[in-house]
Order: sequence, then C-alpha cells, then structure tokens
Amino acid sequence: MAGAPTESSRRIDLRLVATKEGFAAGFDELRRGLDALSLDARARFSVELIFEEVVANLVRHGCRNGGATTLSLEVLLRDDTVQLTFLDDGVPFDPRGRPDPAPAADLEHAQVGGRGLMLIRSVSKSLEYARTPEGQNRLTVAVSRDATSGPGMSDGARSGV
Amino acid sequence: MKMDITEDDGVVKVGLVGRLDTPGVDAVETRLTAAVCPRGARTIVDLSGVEFIGSLGLRMFITIARTLTRKNGKIVLYAPQPFVAQVFETSSLGDIIPVKPDVTSALALAKA
Repeated sequence: MAGAPTESSRRIDLRLVATKEGFAAGFDELRRGLDALSLDARARFSVELIFEEVVANLVRHGCRNGGATTLSLEVLLRDDTVQLTFLDDGVPFDPRGRPDPAPAADLEHAQVGGRGLMLIRSVSKSLEYARTPEGQNRLTVAVSRDATSGPGMSDGARSGV
Repeated sequence: MKMDITEDDGVVKVGLVGRLDTPGVDAVETRLTAAVCPRGARTIVDLSGVEFIGSLGLRMFITIARTLTRKNGKIVLYAPQPFVAQVFETSSLGDIIPVKPDVTSALALAKA
C-alpha cells in the first residue's frame, strides 16, 4: 500500500575507510541505497559523480600519514534537492575557489588532471565547506532534482564557490 | 568493468562495458594502454556500454590520446550515453579528443 515516504526511504548514511577497497565497497553501498530512492536519472548521475570525485580525491590526497582516514556521508532527499554531507578526518581541504583547468587548445597542452572539482561544480546547486571544531572537513553539496539541471547545465555553484 | 579488444583493417576497436569510476579505470587502464600505446595504434572506443565516467576516466583518455598522437596514432571515442557525453562537454575534452556519434564516423576519422 502506498503511503508517505518513510524516513529511511529519504536518506542514506554510510561510512567508509579512505582506501581503494573502502572506496569500491562504499560506492556499491551508495548505489544500493540510491536504488531505494526515487531519483530521476540525471540527479542520480550527479550524486554518483560527486561521490566519485570527493572520495577519489580523499583517497589520493587527503589521508594523513600513519592512520586510517574515515569518511561518512549522509544523503538527504528533499523536495527540490538532494543534499550530500561528507565528513572526513583527512588533511584540511577547502575546495572553494580552486580554479578550473584552463581550456586546452590542443592535446599536447591539455592539463591531464584537475577536472574533478570542475565536474562537481557543474552538477551542484550549492557547495559549502567548513573545518569543524573537531578537526574534520565538512563538505555539503546540493544537487537539483529538477530533470533539466545536471552536468553542464547548472552554474549555480560557480557564483558561490 | 568489461573490455574487449579486436583489430580489423589496421584499426583497433575497444569495447567498454560498465562504469569508468575509479575502480573501473583501475580494472582496464593498464591493459588498454599496453594494447594500443606502444605501437601508436589507430584506435576507436565504443562508449555505448559505459554508464558512468568521472575525472579519472577522462584522465585515462587524455593520457592515452597524448601518447598515441606522439606516435602518429589516434584515438576516437564514439556513441557515449547522454550523461557521459555531457561530462566530456563540461570538461571541454570533446574539443581535443574526438567523440563521434557512431562507429561509421569514428572509423572514418580513425583512418583519415
């Protein structure tokens, strides 16, 4: 019988250790959670793209020497947006204001990396960062549930990043 | 992530099926690079089975494309799904790595 969405059908909570193995397992868990949410395909792609870029960056650059870095993610389904809140205990990293790679005239001059943040911005409605008093990075990203917003179609985050 | 590599009339055809996220790139990058880069192959890549790509996937294609160009080879991607195509457009990579709509146009460009 259909009824109002339950709390569990509108949110996902997961935790992972920032290693390649933890990343892969966390991504599987996220996708299983997303299967249970009624998201259109574009919003879902955007959520997965943000997860990929945030976690890949943490695994590659954000871990402290000598200790396991952990990350928690809360996904909240709101009426108009999906809100993702990442909390990690890695090295401080504020993604706001980092420049996009310059457009390349040709392959030889193309910057190989640095496109992760660019992709996050392209699918985000807003992006907020804070270093918490407990010494964690807290990144909150909102994705529009409007089917006309998505990769390359949202510039809302640029003005605020 | 599945990958099959065949060769016909001097062009290497690569079929990718799955997700080009970090685990997916880890699964195919070494084998794909080894199959086409050392000999500067003319290469076409069928993206129709790729449902996701992130920046690491873009990085893989840039690295391979650059190596191939230096060896007089070439890489042409084709038939991306809409959201994957949008990622290429957002990152302006479509300007420097050709992405064609179908195998016929990809093959023609690879042989040109």
